[in-house]
Amino acid sequence: MEGAAIHEEKPGATHATLQQPARPIPQEVIEKLVAVVGEKNCIREPEQMRTYESDGLASFRAAPGVVVLPASTDEVSQVVRIARQAGLPIVPRGAGTGLSGGALPVPGCVLVGLSRMKKILEVDLDNGFLRVQPGVINLDVSKHIGPQGYYYAPDPSSQSVCTIGGNVAENSGGAHCLKYGFTVNHVLGLTIVLGDGSVVKLGGPVLDQPGYDLTGVVVGSEGMLGIVTEVTLRALRKPEATRTFFATFPSTTEAGNAVSAIIASGIVPAAIEMMDKLAIVAAKAATGVDWPDVNAALLMDVDGPLAECEHTSAIASDLCSKAGAIEVRVPRDAYQRDLMWKGRKSAFAAVGRIARNYLVQDGVIPRSAIARVLEEIAGLSAKAGLRVANVFHAGDGNLHPLVLYDARVPGEEKKAEEFAGEILRICLRYGGSITGEHGVGADKAIYMGEMFTDADLETMGRLRCAFDPEARFNPGKVFPTPRLCGDKPGPYQAHATELSGEAVRV
Amino acid sequence: MNTLEPETIDEAEGMLRNLRERVMFVGGGTQLGLGPAPELLLSTRLLNRIVDYAPSDQVVTVEAGVTLGTLQQALQKQGQRLSLDPPLPERATLGGIIAANSFGPMRTRYGSVRDLIIGVSIVRADGTRAKGGGKVVKTVAGFDLPKLMCGSLGTLGLIAAATFRVHPLPESAATLVARGVPAAGVFSLVKAMRAAQLEPSAMAATRSSAGWEIAIRFEGFDAGVKQQREKLRKLGSFEDAPGPDDFWTAQEKLRLSSDVRVKLAALPSQLEQVAQALPDFRLCWYPTLGLGFAMHDGDLDLEPARRAVAALGGSFTVEAAPRGSAWGPPPESLRVHQQIKARFDPQGLLAPGRFIGGI
Repeated sequence: MEGAAIHEEKPGATHATLQQPARPIPQEVIEKLVAVVGEKNCIREPEQMRTYESDGLASFRAAPGVVVLPASTDEVSQVVRIARQAGLPIVPRGAGTGLSGGALPVPGCVLVGLSRMKKILEVDLDNGFLRVQPGVINLDVSKHIGPQGYYYAPDPSSQSVCTIGGNVAENSGGAHCLKYGFTVNHVLGLTIVLGDGSVVKLGGPVLDQPGYDLTGVVVGSEGMLGIVTEVTLRALRKPEATRTFFATFPSTTEAGNAVSAIIASGIVPAAIEMMDKLAIVAAKAATGVDWPDVNAALLMDVDGPLAECEHTSAIASDLCSKAGAIEVRVPRDAYQRDLMWKGRKSAFAAVGRIARNYLVQDGVIPRSAIARVLEEIAGLSAKAGLRVANVFHAGDGNLHPLVLYDARVPGEEKKAEEFAGEILRICLRYGGSITGEHGVGADKAIYMGEMFTDADLETMGRLRCAFDPEARFNPGKVFPTPRLCGDKPGPYQAHATELSGEAVRV
Repeated sequence: MNTLEPETIDEAEGMLRNLRERVMFVGGGTQLGLGPAPELLLSTRLLNRIVDYAPSDQVVTVEAGVTLGTLQQALQKQGQRLSLDPPLPERATLGGIIAANSFGPMRTRYGSVRDLIIGVSIVRADGTRAKGGGKVVKTVAGFDLPKLMCGSLGTLGLIAAATFRVHPLPESAATLVARGVPAAGVFSLVKAMRAAQLEPSAMAATRSSAGWEIAIRFEGFDAGVKQQREKLRKLGSFEDAPGPDDFWTAQEKLRLSSDVRVKLAALPSQLEQVAQALPDFRLCWYPTLGLGFAMHDGDLDLEPARRAVAALGGSFTVEAAPRGSAWGPPPESLRVHQQIKARFDPQGLLAPGRFIGGI
């Protein structure tokens, strides 16, 4: 297996061209890892490692050198020390539900799976926090504190399987982040294992720890700064009331106008989601929701004090009608409401019912540009001869176009990828972003240079070097041009080794 | 002391590129606090443009020297606001608010500047301009430079411009006040409000010679505000504030009321212990956050109070005092802090010695 050549461009560092080593991990290193995590938690049979070859972005695959499943911060620290001594790259992994290849192995790496670290360590609802290990499932946090009337706000669609550690790496969002913010707004502190194996606590339940906001920096850093082994999360009191409605429209234009009108009215919805015709068809096929065959639909939640909710849901419903809604449905009970949300949250997977293959895109545009951008996407769809299902967080302009294709047709996959890439360019043209919540990972590193200048990326690289001067963690992700950190004064003796993270496409 | 006053960000880049002396960035000068003063100041006074405002997207981009007051006026015309209310809005600049992580009672509901900033442009010590984040409310592309800048006190680069998420102005607001509350009653009230599912947009408690006074503001649509006001009245002897801004202006005055000002942080449940540890101080406390400020007249040795708060697991940061050190003991992540500083400002030209751990 051959890696890409890395050319160092930053002044002050050693000029180097390195090759990705293809050698298997030496037996004595494996033995050391076994001694730390135990025989059954050190996986190296190729068959057993297959599960770990990709994450939710299954079109990217690479074989790790070994998979280790530590059970404690101390074990993670020892694993990191062993990998460092052996000069091996490390890739952390949660449940592997990520959609950008953030947990894609670097060939021959030590893949550190955090799935065994699933203890809830401390709950202090009086002070509004809980401390968990990274392998805890997102939804299990809310389940744990639900009986006391509390919940954890970030709700990615994969919340019943994805882990808090993965959410921290990707700064995951979800439908309700319009009002409540993303993972970063709900993480108060972290314990992180750095590249030299040292364990450091950042932030904590007491706000505003003096110093830089390193918690804020680590959340969303895509596993490139260290391995997070404990997370302090905000626990929110459940709102008094939630009001939901589902409105159908003759086209996405009217639906988009309704969103704009609702936002302009001063309402801050808890969530406002849009689906187009194809997405509605798919959701119906997968979940059996009794939605009509329309060209566009909105699913909206408002929550808060009861009187406020009654008022804002009435206004919003009225604004939908004024914007040309065909029908506004209100769920009769909690069961019906859950079903509506299930329809929405299963939309990605549901597209599998109507297409052999599909790509999930994640881009952001200014909310006011929704109608124009959807028109442009429809134009590209017609030109490429590929169908697109649109599911998105309309309130914050976060699009999830799903490009449908058939991999058996020669050239169609490539065409679909090009199409998905063009969608990101449209987002950038409107002043948006190449990712709203799925992360850059391995998938979108090539677009980073279109959103950011070399100086921007080099500056972000400095942050990375401050944490991980040897680029031990998740090398090759996020940045289009891997760079070396170079020698700097300080306790680290950074030696010029960086392994590229070139993945093998299958 | 020389002061540089760039008129444009391009000009600021040039000034920093040629920089040989140590420099401190200054906005409105409201949070300069303690620490060595370098030879040179760079004022953002003339970087005072609102660069881009898209009301329908609820996003605004400003240069660093725009004051909060000026920005709020522009936003108000479109029925919006930046949900931040640190003291002295007519002087405090957005760049300074980011650098000092300044906040006021509205943090209760909307979080701090880190929760509202979505993009930043900085000029590094070597004159390189770099940006992070974006101009849309949601983006996870790249490392979070905006958050790195929050509270960095000008030690990593010049904050040249920033983009924020803004919120609609509420239709209605009501402030209720309770007086003569014991310290223990403040946190009990937080718990009772949470149990009652009340959602205040601001809450503050002040301790002066007259004892504790608590104020709570509800905002939103009229129906919700009314309902919450009635519910709160059942939880304690609350009265409507005589004027809508009276209490909030007073708590701001209290925060600025003396030469010794200390920022406090502890768990919300620890208010009583914090209050006991600082018997002679006037206090302004944000009960849901566990953050507050302690004020004292005249010169005094702050170390005993610092030790007492540290023993609770809290922090004690001196914002103003005739003498002494701003910072308590450095966090265990000091080494990472030092590494970041070394990567961003290898020559140590930006506000050296003014940050935690001697950074």
